[in-house]
Amino acid sequence: MVKIYRAKMRYPNGDGLDRVDLEVKNGEFVYLVGPSGAGKSTVLKLIYMEEFPSEGYVTVASYNSNEIAPGDIPYIRRKLGIIFQDFKLLEDRDVFENVAFVLHVTGARRKDVKRKTLRALAEVGLSHKSRKLPHELSGGEQQRVAIARAIVNDPFILLADEPTGNLDPKTSVEIMNILDKLNARGTAILMATHNYELVNSTSRRIVSIKKGRTLS
Amino acid sequence: MQSAIFILREGIAGLMRSRFTGFVAVLTIAISLILIGVFLIITVNLAEVVDRLRSRVELEVFLDDSLDEAKIDRLAEEMASIDGVSAVTFISKEMAIREFESLFDDQQHDYFDVLGFNPLPASFRIKLRDAYRNAAGAERVAAAIGALVDIGEEDVVYRRKFVVLLEKYIKIAIAVDFLVGTIVCLSALLLVTNNIRLIILSKNKIIETMMLVGATRAFVQLPLFIQGMIQGLVGGIISALFLYAVLMVGSIEIPGLISVSWRIYALLTALGVLLGLAGSYTAVRRYL
Repeated sequence: MVKIYRAKMRYPNGDGLDRVDLEVKNGEFVYLVGPSGAGKSTVLKLIYMEEFPSEGYVTVASYNSNEIAPGDIPYIRRKLGIIFQDFKLLEDRDVFENVAFVLHVTGARRKDVKRKTLRALAEVGLSHKSRKLPHELSGGEQQRVAIARAIVNDPFILLADEPTGNLDPKTSVEIMNILDKLNARGTAILMATHNYELVNSTSRRIVSIKKGRTLS
Repeated sequence: MQSAIFILREGIAGLMRSRFTGFVAVLTIAISLILIGVFLIITVNLAEVVDRLRSRVELEVFLDDSLDEAKIDRLAEEMASIDGVSAVTFISKEMAIREFESLFDDQQHDYFDVLGFNPLPASFRIKLRDAYRNAAGAERVAAAIGALVDIGEEDVVYRRKFVVLLEKYIKIAIAVDFLVGTIVCLSALLLVTNNIRLIILSKNKIIETMMLVGATRAFVQLPLFIQGMIQGLVGGIISALFLYAVLMVGSIEIPGLISVSWRIYALLTALGVLLGLAGSYTAVRRYL
């Protein structure tokens, strides 16, 4: 479903990845663990094709990073759900519009947009705050909006980049519970984190990354 | 279809979200268009004056008193068939003296009585086609008439110096016109481009996020075009209304001050839309 094969890439400042191999199958929950600067976010960027490997390749569903046309990238991203550490909400519109935006870009009908958006907000427990602007919400609530936005289009995989990195422990547990619930329903999740405490208490598959290399 | 409706709504919502920058953009466009409008009105009125002056460019062909009616008729036919001639009017000796008297408002003298004869010759007045109402055209027709039998070159006269001067001033006026017009249009375009650039820069993070969640480039760009277009439209309408009001007040003070066709107002509004679109297009291409 998602596969990274011997991927190598360099940023202009010399940072990057040396050799990354990773595969996430349908319905799996995989932790990508490593210290800050190890390349976790870059691995996720390879998957949503913000960056491209100079060697090796990435496949997402039927798309291959070596063959994809730039015009197809938005269509890959619509099949993925992405959650960022800094939430990346659209500050100029309310919670409902933030979540609905993902459906609007696909050309969904107004009726469907409303139904799916309300369902996603209910899923993360934010139905009552749908008309609030992002800056009127707490960090945990903003992250829940980001999760609602990530799941509203029924993605086959959720990419979560340090989703609890900016949150207090109690809120982090709430976010993890939501992710668990989504995974239990069949959505694959690849979660990048440097929280070793969190991953040590889990029986899920863990892929470690250090200095741009995944460790088998 | 759903996407198109959403994009349109996004464009309008974008205007509401950035009311201050939008207001500045509309004001910028309106002021630029008022300048362009003033310049256009001056140009159009100048063109009308030039047209009126050009229509006065005509040739006079003086005839020898010895020519009989048959020869005069033949000459009239020959002149009418010359390229560039639109009308040939015969002025008899009697008509010439009457014109002369009325021109100088000198009815109390009867020149015929004083001199015992009519000193003015009969003549033809030659009107020229539009394309020939210039120095080169008039010269060509004059030469062709001067070459006719019974007409000498010196019998064909027209206000050569006037035509040459007229042409010189028309050329200068057109050059100034174009220069001023280009400067005003370019300044307006720059201001609008800069405004949309500021909107793009202020929305940089939002645009980046939109693309991360699957928006295509066009999906992000189109609302900005719509925003630019609406700003241009509003700016255009404001400039047209402003100029209309100013000219209305002006014409109450000085009736017949200046003539402005409704086409100028329509053109200003269309120009506003075009400026808004061109500005947003340039900014989007460069900064997005």
